[in-house]
Amino acid sequence: MSDELSARLARYLAPKLGVRSVEVTGLSRIPGGASRETYRFRARYSCNGAEVQRGLILRRDPTASLINTERTTEFRAYRAFHKLGLPVPEVIALELGNEALDRPFFIMEEIENCAVASILAPDPYGAQAQKIGTQFFSILGQIAKAEPDAIGLSDFDGVGEESWKHEIARWEREIDEDEREPQPIARAAIRWLKRNPPPRAQKLSVVHGDYRTGNFLYDADGNIRAILDWEMAHLGDPLEDLGWALDPLWSHHNPARPAGLLPREEAIAVWEKASGLRADPKALHWWEIFASLKGAAIWISAGREYVEARNADPVNAFSGWYCLAFHNNVLAERLAAEAA
Amino acid sequence: MKPEADQIAQMSAGQIMAEIMPLLPAGYAQGHAMLLGVMLGFCAQEFERGAEIRAADNAGMRALFAKLAPSVRDTALKEKLVAASSSHDASLKISDLNAANYELRALIIALQTDAEERRDAPAQAAIWTVLKTSAARRVLKLPGM
Repeated sequence: MSDELSARLARYLAPKLGVRSVEVTGLSRIPGGASRETYRFRARYSCNGAEVQRGLILRRDPTASLINTERTTEFRAYRAFHKLGLPVPEVIALELGNEALDRPFFIMEEIENCAVASILAPDPYGAQAQKIGTQFFSILGQIAKAEPDAIGLSDFDGVGEESWKHEIARWEREIDEDEREPQPIARAAIRWLKRNPPPRAQKLSVVHGDYRTGNFLYDADGNIRAILDWEMAHLGDPLEDLGWALDPLWSHHNPARPAGLLPREEAIAVWEKASGLRADPKALHWWEIFASLKGAAIWISAGREYVEARNADPVNAFSGWYCLAFHNNVLAERLAAEAA
Repeated sequence: MKPEADQIAQMSAGQIMAEIMPLLPAGYAQGHAMLLGVMLGFCAQEFERGAEIRAADNAGMRALFAKLAPSVRDTALKEKLVAASSSHDASLKISDLNAANYELRALIIALQTDAEERRDAPAQAAIWTVLKTSAARRVLKLPGM
């Protein structure tokens, strides 16, 4: 990775860390999705006479997408839930200007010696699935339980009353803007979701927005060390996150174990205990269909990014092809059963 | 006997993942190479089935339109369905099959919306059968699954 970028990063970090100078070494890009460029590096500096060396992560906007609001949302969500004591990395600095590193970015601590599961792996958690699964659904319950006011996130995008309408409108707009060919299954899903609204939300929560396998780090002992990728965080019905976490795309081809972790009923029970909320089956069913529709919308957008060569990361081709075909199949199965 | 494109793509995918990927720096470069290998594997699947699944989708929608057009009350939609039911794919090129497929897809959306508004349960069931079959045949297999 370029020495020039390391030097600029070092110059930026020194005043943020309150030290005279910082040495940045080992800057290298790591996988982190197509929506952000993610880099790992080490920062070395002197603080109160002591030598400090820290592993840090740089998350920089890609050239094709400069959306400051999302960057700020992600940064604030990391900060709020880290403060609350959940396994979320500590954030160091948020930069919305282009002067320091050409594009907006933020910096957070690196959680070292951990693994992240690929959705391509058939059984990434092995014998630790039960232990990791209990934490995974419990942490999600704690996110649902947190009061947005109390953690300073009550101004996030989203609404309390009829949040389902807000979310449907958001993802329908995404499909309207990004579809390159007609999408009959996604359109049928939107009509079904509008015709069959879910019961009223039990409370207004911070919704992580992408809580799933692949978006958390765990260590060799099966401890979840970090919940990542908060860029789609918003306010809404806490069942939205549960529906997304239970989606079959994240089950590693084992439908009996959502997220490849726990049997479905057990996962829901863990979430209910941690959140103090009830996963009403009718409401959850609606949010699960919504989850697959939201997935389809994201994959349609990713496919367009790739087809129009705005972002040629192969993850966009994978999403626009494999993931969209997967979710179309899930939605067709579920909605055909509704119509029968 | 010459190698076919799907075999070349499949073997190239295997070589990228088994031989080239381990030589790259861990992290982004390896992940990138692995995904490229997976995508080549998908291309191999699509080379074999691409024309067949599109032709089958198009035939399925045309047959559906022929069956359901008589029950549609909206005259303009009915005329479009009748015309589409007797249309043909210009060739077996993927681009031609896609062009026809996208026109038919727009019509199936209109037909399904109409059937839902008329609460025509048998028509809705018939439409879902076509959409379900199409969705199932387009699912891709991940390597090793």
